[in-house]
Amino acid sequence: MNKELQLEITTKGEVAVGSIKGDLTAVNGGSIEEAYRGMTREGVRKILFLFSKECYINSGGIAILIGIASASRKNGQAIRIAGLSDHFRKIFHMMGLTKYVAIFPTEEEALKDF
Amino acid sequence: MRADPDKKIELHIPSVSGAEKVAMERAAEVARRMGFSDDRIEDLKTAVSEACINAMEHGNKMDANTKVGVTLTVTEKNLQVDVRDQGKGVGEVATPDIDEKMAGKEQARGWGIFLIRGLMDEVQFGSAPEGGSMVRMIIHLDR
Repeated sequence: MNKELQLEITTKGEVAVGSIKGDLTAVNGGSIEEAYRGMTREGVRKILFLFSKECYINSGGIAILIGIASASRKNGQAIRIAGLSDHFRKIFHMMGLTKYVAIFPTEEEALKDF
Repeated sequence: MRADPDKKIELHIPSVSGAEKVAMERAAEVARRMGFSDDRIEDLKTAVSEACINAMEHGNKMDANTKVGVTLTVTEKNLQVDVRDQGKGVGEVATPDIDEKMAGKEQARGWGIFLIRGLMDEVQFGSAPEGGSMVRMIIHLDR
């Protein structure tokens, strides 16, 4: 009943952009963790997670992002998030994740911030 | 003037990952018909989803033979959503702390009740009449 998570990685200058569609949950979010580990092995220092506004994200999915954000601090990487709906921007703010990961309305604004 | 009798809608969803979306969408549909704003409907969707996930994972231990009961009760001014499991619920949980989670001192998960409390107007935890645990969430139409 979960929609498949679709993740496409592209590069914009020094930034790896992970475009995310579908459902981000604890059950199907493993591909994002795997992609992050791959980027880390390749020495990527700047990562943008670009969400589709239609994404369904639950707290298990957000926990995956928290784990990646935590690891990125240890690995000296900068992470930004963009494209979230207003609702999920509010949720991320409520949880305090915005203390650690900057969130932008659009890809362009996030790329400018790196 | 006497309000119309409460209207109830009953759902029973399996304890299978993703099934929470059935309850979430049904609650959203009812809230839309009642006239809730889009942002409040999004709040409701997240709260219902998290309550169902807690019921599946903590109450029903993801046993696919168990069900999560969801009752939507429509009144003149509120939508009440009761979510019931067949076990012991999630129990008391500490308020999650993003700093501790980022430092790796707490598990990254454990946000469900925090979100439910933050998004709904009234939240009560207790026992379901037929056994098991129940969370009752109420969202006010006039907020």
